[in-house]
Amino acid sequence: MMQRPAWWMLIPAALGLLVFVVVPFVCSFGMSFTDLALGSPHPVRWVGFQQYQRLAADPSVARALTNNLIFAVVITPLQTALALFLACVLNRPGWRLGGFYRSLFFAPVVFPMSLVAVIWRYLYAPGASGAFNQVLNALSLGHWQPRDFLHDPQLALPSLMLLSIWQGVGLQMVLLLAGLQQIPADLYEAAALDGSSPLLRFRFVTLPMLRNTLIFTALMTTILAFRVFDQVQILTHGGPAGATTTLMFELVRSAFERLQMGRACALTVVFVIIVVVLTGVQRFLLRQKSL
Amino acid sequence: MRTLLLATFLTGCAHQAGPPGLQIWAHEGRESERQVLTAQVERFQHEHSGPPLHLTFLPEGNYNSQVQAAALAQKLPDVLEFDGPLLYRYVWQGCLQPLETQLKQSTLDNLLPSIQKQGSFRGHLYSLGAFDSGLGLYGRKSLIRQAGARLPKSPDEAWTAAEFTQLLENLAREDTDGQVLDLKLNYQGEWFTYAFSPALASAGTDLSHLESPAASQVLNTIQGWNEQGRVDANVDDAAFLTGRVALSWVGHWEYPRYASRWGDDLCLLPLPNFGHGTRSGQGSWNWAVTTACQPSGRAVEFLEFLLQDEQVLEMSDANGAVPATRSAIARSKLYGANGPLRLFSNQLLQGWTAPRPRTPAYPLMTSVFQQTMQDVLHGAPVDQVLGQAAAEIRQDDLDNQGYR
Repeated sequence: MMQRPAWWMLIPAALGLLVFVVVPFVCSFGMSFTDLALGSPHPVRWVGFQQYQRLAADPSVARALTNNLIFAVVITPLQTALALFLACVLNRPGWRLGGFYRSLFFAPVVFPMSLVAVIWRYLYAPGASGAFNQVLNALSLGHWQPRDFLHDPQLALPSLMLLSIWQGVGLQMVLLLAGLQQIPADLYEAAALDGSSPLLRFRFVTLPMLRNTLIFTALMTTILAFRVFDQVQILTHGGPAGATTTLMFELVRSAFERLQMGRACALTVVFVIIVVVLTGVQRFLLRQKSL
Repeated sequence: MRTLLLATFLTGCAHQAGPPGLQIWAHEGRESERQVLTAQVERFQHEHSGPPLHLTFLPEGNYNSQVQAAALAQKLPDVLEFDGPLLYRYVWQGCLQPLETQLKQSTLDNLLPSIQKQGSFRGHLYSLGAFDSGLGLYGRKSLIRQAGARLPKSPDEAWTAAEFTQLLENLAREDTDGQVLDLKLNYQGEWFTYAFSPALASAGTDLSHLESPAASQVLNTIQGWNEQGRVDANVDDAAFLTGRVALSWVGHWEYPRYASRWGDDLCLLPLPNFGHGTRSGQGSWNWAVTTACQPSGRAVEFLEFLLQDEQVLEMSDANGAVPATRSAIARSKLYGANGPLRLFSNQLLQGWTAPRPRTPAYPLMTSVFQQTMQDVLHGAPVDQVLGQAAAEIRQDDLDNQGYR
């Protein structure tokens, strides 16, 4: 039973959500049934589901959704596994350098994506003098042919993924680290007394105890994978030929470059539905545990 | 719901109830440009007594979005600066007032033809600029001569596209990595329309006719240069400065860097001729008076002031752009009769430039074409990409009832 002060304390957050999330979304929902064009002197017309029908038939939207899906499917397991690995390695109470490495791995999260993207543009530079091309050339003993990573239809999306993992893994690591520190030490002690190896302890103590944190971080990563925008805008602009376009990129471009607000609002609604479904999945998985 | 939406999103350009005087919005630009404009506003107030001028600088990155938002909120200033090709959308929205009857005939006659063309729409002149831009090829004389090519001295002597392609191959033979041309592929956004739509004009077509054989041929040619490995990716924006390439396809703004690096070996040449004579880019930031500005006498007087030779030359010195009036060009060190950048002013004076499409659809068109151009440069099938782009532009035109 919630107490009165709790309701009071909810007000600021609830107001914020109402003003910045609920109201804009309701407006977007309404506008998605119009042909609203930013700065058009023509009266706004109601066009029913036309914007949605067009989205369904638009190959660039299909491409964007596919790219988002690939992004989510590849990034979520990879990034979660890497974050778990880092968290386990760093979870050593009393280790002096722990704080240093934690900050080191967390640092990219603090950098704005725009800054990170500009630096990675140099790493991905085409030609034999580009940083990654040089490294790959050295590793392959000269067998690597220089590639233009960000403009190569096959490599552009994976290149953005690699950069995103590097930038995002620190946040999950910190969340998982917090989860790890919640696990009571006596569970490990008991398991060790029973003669279980570190690997078995990880499998039968760490993983089950981390289950909810893992589900949360994995779903958060999935939702973030659907929100990919900055690195696309800065590094590839959706190209080459749609290879890196995403829902968010299509949406922003529609609204603010092409001034097609009706279409952008319809894309927003589609986007929100996807995120709500993902959140629903998360709640379902978590609830099964607590039953 | 319906009425609420309509009420909120109908456009309007009414005036804000601000302090008395003229509200002026300008883009931030460089520090030197801001200083000059601020000084000019003060000078004008000193010389022409009357209500005060309030100058506001807005960041360039999302300048247009801010103006669009202000138009929706009915809070436009009296005098507005914007990037040239956006003019037609503002006119379509009913935000700007015609200037041709308000300006002195002598002022109009003195304007560059390119400025008049860019500022005119549906029979009226709505905007004017204090400066224009120039686009061309910077080259290293020694390398071009070594490759056995002639040096075009004027726009009518421009290399043909075939000659240019051949020259790239000849230059590549003497080049360590074979990349001899800088197309500023590191630039973003508007650059691709500004830099490459003149090539379409040179082939006798434009952004409204992307499905034409001429457009396909131009884009195939440009794609060919990159596919042959002749174009430097220019990630460090120094391909020409470090001597990696012999030719750089870029605007007037690179002159100071290039001239101080290469001195007498630097030459300025017209862009290649794709069939109907070379065409260069034009257009830059423009001034207009909004419909909200009533009476508009002082605003027009301010624009006349900005077009005086001294003011035009001062701004041109600050940002390096081409002065917008004939008399100022004649007095300019860079753009005058024997100036090193005379080609740019000649191109603008003699009609060798093509304005970007003069239509309210421009924001969409340029967004579509930027994508098209980047896809083509990186190997996408030209005709397919052009077909999609043309379809998008057609659909947008239908959606907006022909922008009438």
